[in-house]
Amino acid sequence: MQEDVISEIIEEEREARELRRRMADWEFINKQPPRIREALKYYIEKDDMRLAAKLAGLNIEEFRELLRKARIPVVV
Amino acid sequence: MLRREFAIADTCFLIDWSRYRRRDILFRLFRTVFVPENVLNEVKSENVITWISEGLRSDKLALYTPVSDEVEEARELIEESRLHPQLPSMDLPEALCLVIGRRRGYIVLTENRAALLAPKLLSKYRDVEVWRALEVLLNAIRYNIIEPDCSNPRKVFDEYCHDTLHIFPSKTLNEAIREVEELCRRT
Amino acid sequence: MGEDVIKEFLEWEVKARELRRRMADWEFINKQPPRIREALKYYIEKGDLYVASRIAGLSIEEFNELRIKARIPNVA
Repeated sequence: MQEDVISEIIEEEREARELRRRMADWEFINKQPPRIREALKYYIEKDDMRLAAKLAGLNIEEFRELLRKARIPVVV
Repeated sequence: MLRREFAIADTCFLIDWSRYRRRDILFRLFRTVFVPENVLNEVKSENVITWISEGLRSDKLALYTPVSDEVEEARELIEESRLHPQLPSMDLPEALCLVIGRRRGYIVLTENRAALLAPKLLSKYRDVEVWRALEVLLNAIRYNIIEPDCSNPRKVFDEYCHDTLHIFPSKTLNEAIREVEELCRRT
Repeated sequence: MGEDVIKEFLEWEVKARELRRRMADWEFINKQPPRIREALKYYIEKGDLYVASRIAGLSIEEFNELRIKARIPNVA
């Protein structure tokens, strides 16, 4: 049963990552300073908002706002 | 209506929820929503601070100051979560919410995937109820706090997505929509 | 007898809140940045120094100084 749960988790994460990649405004992302750009790319791949915010040097609320500007959805 | 008593909300839930046009339905679902102290440290914008402050003034929200053994258990939970490679990473704030949820029976309100998955994978936390915005909306519909649009059962969820740029995973969203359709058929 | 105590307490709370509202320097309060403003407003309504200091992101002592600058009495 735990294997079923794990398969479901992996599938959901894959779907979420594809959505983030597809919906992101890559033109906006690529124009950002390196720290911000890398943090956004990290978030798209790993879905870890706190760590991405730290990478960006922002607090979590500021980073969440940045995600909106970059059209990157939170998929939960 | 069976009203749930208490919930505890972490930052990632509150910063999105506060942007939702019907955010105050939260206070009709719960008697009190607790806000851990660290959340106040993380919240900066006027919109969120004002909403939280109004909630605290009207006793719909209450501050939660964790005690040292709750923090200690949260650290242990983080360590345990690291032993499960399938679990995304969990930080102290959401671990603390899970611990408080377990110890005090509060519903945990979070958008953190690790916190959402922990009850499915960690037996100690299996009885903790974790809700994201989707479950809050669905329960608001179940308890007639929000009236669904039966001609468009996904409308409530779409509104939330529009207000917050938050997307619900398709499988769980479709299950929620089916439940709304069923509720509509019954009325 | 318990009911009398509660009634007396509630009446006292109402009077204390009215006093804080009336004596506060609202011009000073409304000029403050959002966090500080909300914390002062919270304190006026609830009289809870600890929570107000958390909202403000200040120590209790710092917030107490602020309370005095805002001319909000500590009614105890």
